Amino acid sequence: MTKIIEGLKYTEEHEWIALDGNIATIGITDFAQSSLGDIVFVELPAEGEEIEAGNSFGVVESIKSVSDLYSPISGKVTEKNDTVEGTPENINEDAFGAWLIKLEVHDTAALDNLMDHTAYQEYCEANS
Amino acid sequence: MSNQTALYNQHLNLGAKMVDFAGWQMPIQYKNLKEEVKAIRESVGVFDVSHMGEFFIRGNDALKFVDYMVTNDIAGAQIGKAIYSPLCREDGTIIDDLIVYKLANDEILICVNASNIEKDFQWFEKHVQDFDCQLKNESDEYSLLALQGPKSFEVLSKCDLGFQVNDIEYYSIQAHDANGSKTLIARTGYTGEDGFEIFGPHDLIKNLWNQLMELNVMPCGLGARDVLRLEVCYPLYGHELTDEITPLDCGLKWTVKLKKENFIGKTFLESYQPKYQLLKLVLDKGIPRDHYVVEDENGNQLGEVTSGTMSVILGKGIALARVEKKLYSEDMKINVDIRGRKYMAQVTKKPFVVGGHK
Repeated sequence: MTKIIEGLKYTEEHEWIALDGNIATIGITDFAQSSLGDIVFVELPAEGEEIEAGNSFGVVESIKSVSDLYSPISGKVTEKNDTVEGTPENINEDAFGAWLIKLEVHDTAALDNLMDHTAYQEYCEANS
Repeated sequence: MSNQTALYNQHLNLGAKMVDFAGWQMPIQYKNLKEEVKAIRESVGVFDVSHMGEFFIRGNDALKFVDYMVTNDIAGAQIGKAIYSPLCREDGTIIDDLIVYKLANDEILICVNASNIEKDFQWFEKHVQDFDCQLKNESDEYSLLALQGPKSFEVLSKCDLGFQVNDIEYYSIQAHDANGSKTLIARTGYTGEDGFEIFGPHDLIKNLWNQLMELNVMPCGLGARDVLRLEVCYPLYGHELTDEITPLDCGLKWTVKLKKENFIGKTFLESYQPKYQLLKLVLDKGIPRDHYVVEDENGNQLGEVTSGTMSVILGKGIALARVEKKLYSEDMKINVDIRGRKYMAQVTKKPFVVGGHK
């Protein structure tokens, strides 16, 4: 059973976003980690890097596949999760705990168009 | 519309992820790719590879014909042996790579890649007319299982096939007649481990699959198969081998027997100077993938990755890469360009993993 958390925003590419003030924390969902299988490599942007909405900011790799990571919102990377880069299997164990990056954002309007947990639940059911 | 193997419903019931491969709906993975790879290296696992093609050549000239068509030595091999060989054009380029099973001097089975069945058949058909033998594509009549891993023989011996399976030597084959149809048991595979490939009628293979599942043999998908073959550096058509290069460009010199009296491509290959060579690369960090660029330390492009993955056994990125011979020298430091970043690669001579086959 796919785990989905209330209060987060979700993208069609299966990222989750938690907004706290002007800091957006981004990770991939439980549905995403389960579809990918064993995650063996994560590549994240450096702190201070500017990220543009809709552009790829990194990758997660399973043994056989490479998947791009997309941010739905522009901003500056204030933190990346070094632990996850070192032990990518953390994402398989706890996708919502193993966040990837934190972004300082200026305009949060882009997040209004994203799915809430109910809409994302339906989206996953339609896609599984 | 994709073809389905006789085991299609079994795969769905096991929860396999299915993909289209060479026009067939095939399982790429069941529950966990890592576990599938480990099962085969350490114990036993089974693949449905019924999509592969089976050609039979029968008649007085069967041996002469096949020996002329392929680059490896079939005439000189003992009856009952399996021989790996490229199939080449006159200009040395590779049409496919095959396993030739010498059942008898007048009966030869050739197992071909699913994606090349039509191309290969047309090539054989074009040349068979000059020989006293018949060529038949019997791919639709056979299902094929690859039972692989150190416990393969132990497990297969427990199955009821209607005949006794013998402990035949590696790279050989034995035919069995049961209930009016022929089943062929070969001790071959594509994993580097001991194992069997069982060619049989659909019902017998379905029955065998069900018995193997009851014995808790791990079903394995094409994803695990690709990791396993790459760990032991077996080439794959469309990746290391292509229509545009010769066996001498991709580490298959050992399969080209220039001492044979005649075979298609011999004249060309005798004087050919290879343009490319295949490197085995290991990366401490980063996972190389198909078509990633391989460079020297100054950023000059030498070639590209033909197959790359994370090795389950080593826990490191591994790749086979085709580089231009005139650009590459052994003292170079090699990098792989992964999404614009350079990752250092070690060139190794030995396969990444040594399989356990005898």
